[in-house]
Amino acid sequence: MKSKLSGFAIAATVLIGTAAAHAQDIKLGVIAGMSGPGTSYGIGIRQGAEMAVKEINAGGGVKGRKIALVVVDDASNPAQSVTAMQRLVSEKVDLIVGGWGSSQVLANMEVAERAGIPYVVVGATNPKITTDKNKWTFRVIPADSDQAEQIAEAAVKRLGMKRIAVVHDVNDYGVGNRDVFLASLKKLGLEPVTVVSYQSNDKDFTAQLSRVGSSNADGLAIFGTIPAAPAMMNQARDLGIKARFIGTGGLANENLMTLAPKASEGTVLTTLFHEDVDADAKAWSQRFVKEFSGAAQPARPILAAYEYRAIKTIAAPCLASAGTDRDKLRQCIGSFKGRMFGIPGEVSFSKTGQLQQQSVFVEVGNGAFQAFKGK
Amino acid sequence: MFSQIVIGGFATGCIYAVVGLGFTLVYRTLRMVNFAQGQVFMAGAFLGLTIAQKLPMPTPLLLATVGASAFVLGLALERLIFRRLYHNHEVFIVGSIGLGIILTNSIRIMFPEPVPFPKVFGSEVIQIGSARIPETSVWIVICTVLLVVLLHALFTYTRTGRALRAVAADAETAGAVGVNVSRAIGLTFGLSCAVAAIAGVLIGPLYFVSFDMGDMVGLKAFAAAVFGGINSIPGTILGGVVIGVLENIAGGYISSAYKDLVAFVILLVTLVWRPSGLLGRETPVKV
Amino acid sequence: MPILARAAVLPALLLLPMLLPQYVLHVLVFILIYTLPVIGLGFLTGFTGRVSLAQGALFGVGAYTTALLTTRLGWSPVAALLPAVLVTVAVAIAIGGAVVRLAGLYFVMATIGIQQIVGITLMNWIDLTAGPQGVRSIPPVALAGWELDSTRNFYFLALLFAVISYVLAKRIIASRLGLYLRALSDDQLAADAVAVKVTRAKVTALALSAAWAGAGGFLYAHYVRYVHPDMFGLEPSVLFLVMSMFGGYRSLEGMIFATAVLESATEYLRPFGEYRMIAYGVILLAGMMFFPKGILTLFERKARAPRKAVGAAEGVA
Repeated sequence: MKSKLSGFAIAATVLIGTAAAHAQDIKLGVIAGMSGPGTSYGIGIRQGAEMAVKEINAGGGVKGRKIALVVVDDASNPAQSVTAMQRLVSEKVDLIVGGWGSSQVLANMEVAERAGIPYVVVGATNPKITTDKNKWTFRVIPADSDQAEQIAEAAVKRLGMKRIAVVHDVNDYGVGNRDVFLASLKKLGLEPVTVVSYQSNDKDFTAQLSRVGSSNADGLAIFGTIPAAPAMMNQARDLGIKARFIGTGGLANENLMTLAPKASEGTVLTTLFHEDVDADAKAWSQRFVKEFSGAAQPARPILAAYEYRAIKTIAAPCLASAGTDRDKLRQCIGSFKGRMFGIPGEVSFSKTGQLQQQSVFVEVGNGAFQAFKGK
Repeated sequence: MFSQIVIGGFATGCIYAVVGLGFTLVYRTLRMVNFAQGQVFMAGAFLGLTIAQKLPMPTPLLLATVGASAFVLGLALERLIFRRLYHNHEVFIVGSIGLGIILTNSIRIMFPEPVPFPKVFGSEVIQIGSARIPETSVWIVICTVLLVVLLHALFTYTRTGRALRAVAADAETAGAVGVNVSRAIGLTFGLSCAVAAIAGVLIGPLYFVSFDMGDMVGLKAFAAAVFGGINSIPGTILGGVVIGVLENIAGGYISSAYKDLVAFVILLVTLVWRPSGLLGRETPVKV
Repeated sequence: MPILARAAVLPALLLLPMLLPQYVLHVLVFILIYTLPVIGLGFLTGFTGRVSLAQGALFGVGAYTTALLTTRLGWSPVAALLPAVLVTVAVAIAIGGAVVRLAGLYFVMATIGIQQIVGITLMNWIDLTAGPQGVRSIPPVALAGWELDSTRNFYFLALLFAVISYVLAKRIIASRLGLYLRALSDDQLAADAVAVKVTRAKVTALALSAAWAGAGGFLYAHYVRYVHPDMFGLEPSVLFLVMSMFGGYRSLEGMIFATAVLESATEYLRPFGEYRMIAYGVILLAGMMFFPKGILTLFERKARAPRKAVGAAEGVA
């Protein structure tokens, strides 16, 4: 079975990665959910890492040293994420690029911080990850403090929504977004018509959606991830709710349209990567899809793009100049300034380790993410 | 909203009832609880998914195929595995939990993320009063009724069925009058796996299927069986439906957070107040 | 075990941190921590014939109590130990007290209910526990200004707790209370002749098992420094139960040995990803199929009086 092969592939990657890694190799840790609810995202991260490392090693590695990937699965679960991170620490990885899920990352970054390993986060958006407390942790994707604010503005100013309902996951991602979103709405002079919550593992949203339905909302903000979000969209439409869906990065996953083919049409969200932003992005995207077409799991460009760029544009050059001295690596990463495809202009990290950038708006149309034109 | 919640709860309650039947059938015959039930339910859903995708067939045939395959699996499992676990309760429980873990993680390797299930019961949304009910929910109730009727017929009118009942009532005597007890036990396991797997196909189209979908359902179905009477088939059905409806009401009107609590509070209260369950027969359980 | 061998064990254990790599020490710490809830379970299972699948939840109550006291109220971890133990005992008796009188399988069923209720509450009482976010940044235990921040340092604390718990348990078992508890499981009806005291003894056993679980949870919280409801579900309950079963119900040494073996096995299987969990399931299943009375029955000739199946202590038809 196709997916079974990928399971073998993961096990093999880890085995080969750790067993065959020579003392010379640079160990790059990747942590994300490769099973369980967050798999859709974890796959993208892994694909991005594999593509980047393959290209780097094919070009002779970093100053002659190859990069060995150490991939650990945290099953999108904060408890397991801490254990998985501890494994990376015991494996003595030189740095970590990955991490998905705000609750997972908030938990596992403590392990990395205590162990003093540079950690570049590509898949968690809670603002609390980059504050003045993190010394070793950096983040390359836009935080919710930006995303939720931007979608709030878009909802009111560009989509003209007046009665907005909010459904959010009770984990850090959902709560973080909710708080920023509501604060932004307030600044725009709006109160939500209803705010309801759910647990990531919930399957049935009748109770929550009934309240949304009776509130007569014209817009429904869903701050959640796969698979809850598409399930909710399907159920909402079945219940006769016509409100337009909006959201932030949690919805930015290709699997959204696979799981909610009809219900997701028209959703507007802030995404993390879109190939139409510039020509380089388009070129990379085509290369990426080609590399992973026909593979055991479908190509997931959105998070793959971040993982790839983080490794190739930021980590690799720093490994070349600073070697594997952790402190030097950290300083090099922190002082990064340059261009990354898909993001306009030059980017650099803020003092708290956050890469400054604008997120991109997309709309779900014809089963794909289309650039959002305005209405 | 009330009718929406109650009807929805009725449908999930039927699922608890059917999976709970599996617990009851095994318990009646062996006085043991098989904690792999939930995982057989989950495996049935994935089996149904795979068959429906690779070999599309009319839904009744799909149900029958999944049921039959699970039946055979149950026979095999009893023969190879369960038979060796009869020493005492905890050995059986832990052993069956181990089996459940094997099942869960085997499926997890093949299907790491949740996947949609083909709409084998149609995708209409039916309007009943102010409630909008997916077609699937209606079919769940219909199939549950059919299943119960079939089982009743089996136990009342067929020789095999009566033999199974005899073994459940008093294995020693049944053996003494010529019933093949060991075969009866095997058949009982087969049946319990079959009903669980069928329930998996029934619920598949309602939500996405994932490798962990059997964990909570298994535990709640267990609570339902105890609540209704773990040695009573009608009791288990009743228990399942009641828990399904009650937890939905609690979720809708009190808080969706504590919905899951309902089944287990009911379980505890039942064990403290009337351990044999609503419709179960009295057996001395307190010492 | 001969006296000389016993005497050598402790100094050997004290020397290990200097000899072993950090990763092995890390596993060792978990083994030491887990001996607490496992021995606690022994009070219930080995000595009164009650099998519980709620020990993981109680372990979690201890962990959460100290986590919340130290992160929300700023208590020093040392001060939070006693409350952690007491709260765990209180919860156990409050929910479990009513069901101790149940026999055999029904008691197990009830503990499943307890496990789930505690787990769901931990996950959903968000105002108290922060639910699915978990409790982060739990401070390390600090003794006289010395922070037990690293594996190496924490090892000694864990060892201390493990030794104390073992010695204490041995004392209790050898005492009159212990004799009484054992009598309960050997011949319930005879002990039942003094009816009122039977229930009290069972509740005591429950309290003891909860106390040990709570103490273990305290250690866990201050080692991992993060708690989340998923850490205290059915999985650890089963693990603890299996560890106490594999060792043969009545031998404390057996339980400790089984804990070491099983924990090492699960850790060293980690590189295999999902296959690791399958291997774990196979270990559980095979263990129950082929060693229902515990692995140690293979080794130990001089076991105590052979323990009959738990069924002897029940009244279920």
